[in-house]
Amino acid sequence: MIKQGHPSDIVGLLDSLSEKLTGTFSAWKDVAFIGVRSGGEFIARALVGLIREKTGNAVPLGVLDITLYRDDISKRRFYPEVRSTDIPFSVDDKDIILVDDVLHTGRSVRAAIDQIVDLGRPRRIYLMVLFDRGGRELPIQADFVGKHIELPDKQIIKLDVSDDGASFNGVVITEVKA
Amino acid sequence: MNWPRKDLIGIQDLSKEEIITILEMTTSFKEISKRDIKKVPTLRGKTVVLLFYEPSTRTRLSFEIAAKRLSADTTSLSASGSSFSKGETIMDAALNVMAMAPDCIVIRYPYAGIPQKLARELPCSIINAGDGYHEHPTQALLDMYSMQERFGTIEGLRVVIVGDIFHSRVARSNVYGLRKMGAHVSIVAPKTLLPPGIETWGVDIATDFDSVIPEADVIMMLRVQKERLNQQFFSDEREYSFFYGLNKHRVDMMNSDAAIMHPGPMNRGVEITHDAADSARSLILNQVENGVAVRMTLLYLSLGGSLHVD
Repeated sequence: MIKQGHPSDIVGLLDSLSEKLTGTFSAWKDVAFIGVRSGGEFIARALVGLIREKTGNAVPLGVLDITLYRDDISKRRFYPEVRSTDIPFSVDDKDIILVDDVLHTGRSVRAAIDQIVDLGRPRRIYLMVLFDRGGRELPIQADFVGKHIELPDKQIIKLDVSDDGASFNGVVITEVKA
Repeated sequence: MNWPRKDLIGIQDLSKEEIITILEMTTSFKEISKRDIKKVPTLRGKTVVLLFYEPSTRTRLSFEIAAKRLSADTTSLSASGSSFSKGETIMDAALNVMAMAPDCIVIRYPYAGIPQKLARELPCSIINAGDGYHEHPTQALLDMYSMQERFGTIEGLRVVIVGDIFHSRVARSNVYGLRKMGAHVSIVAPKTLLPPGIETWGVDIATDFDSVIPEADVIMMLRVQKERLNQQFFSDEREYSFFYGLNKHRVDMMNSDAAIMHPGPMNRGVEITHDAADSARSLILNQVENGVAVRMTLLYLSLGGSLHVD
């Protein structure tokens, strides 16, 4: 680990994301959040709370596990654990705000979109991320970004979130071993 | 998580931790079968061959549906209607199948040890779908999953297995698994249907069914294999049913939470009556439903990644 950020570092980012969202959505009718496990789930949950505070609207929240839709399953040495997908509403005709912690190659977002369209036909899917670090390998861009950052390729930034998405211990930057 | 196994031959080989991993992941796979589009792209481009040298409905259909929900291609071969019945040896047949480059062979065979032999000699994954009187690991895993789903845990459950233990791979796999998971297992059978060496299994043995019923959390009935009738293991169906059948009278003796299980196919009126099979306590159709999810988990673990672990 080369850097450990404090949980308070992202409070401002979450707040500015909620401002961007309230600028775009006013009625909050047929809008729902879907967070990608487990960093995206945490952020989506935080935004549901902020939107409720600011507007009084309770926006539905779903959680996606994208393991089964990854494009690198047969290339991995270790088996990614499959956790549950839990989307307690129909995605049909909804405006879905897909939430992830970091946007990098775009491959996770591709997997998440594939899974959402297997569940139904949303009216539109927006993409919201806390950090956009560039380095795209697919033509995917976010609609709402907390912060643009630059990192060397071999470094990984992620949120340190417990498996159940409930507790958050800060932002961690680590170096990939060669 | 790390899953270094190429094959699944028996529950005897699995550690408690591996069983827990399988049961935990099964819940995630079960959710897929509840979607409108019951398919994920995970095993796209993988080929699964089902080689069945014994009749099977449930197991074969269950494996086939499981593989298809993960987007694998499946081909199913049974002994009748193929050249297996022309006298080709199992090894020749398997090598010929292997030449067509499957990623996994699911095999059922009337004699013990063949899945193990194929696992040793073939580069693809082998999953045992029942071999002789040896093991039927996916059945035991789906049984354990169904118990865990119903009771929250397997540890400490009192499970009674009733019937033809001698010829039952389902009983053997369940005993291995349930003991590893900390359940207490009792076996009830006429003495002619107890295998030699059963005293080493770590189970209680009873010949009086009624005496163990009130204590049981789960009563698992085994199918009476009618072909055994001519072999003098028991005298007739009516007598068997009287002493070892699960009927309304015995269901009424069960404790209020207890569940009834049966691996199928059932002989209604022999080892189980309509009252028991169709009662609210019955988990029999849950077992079938869970079978698809358990087999999806095992196909994912066997085929989902590289087998080379450093």
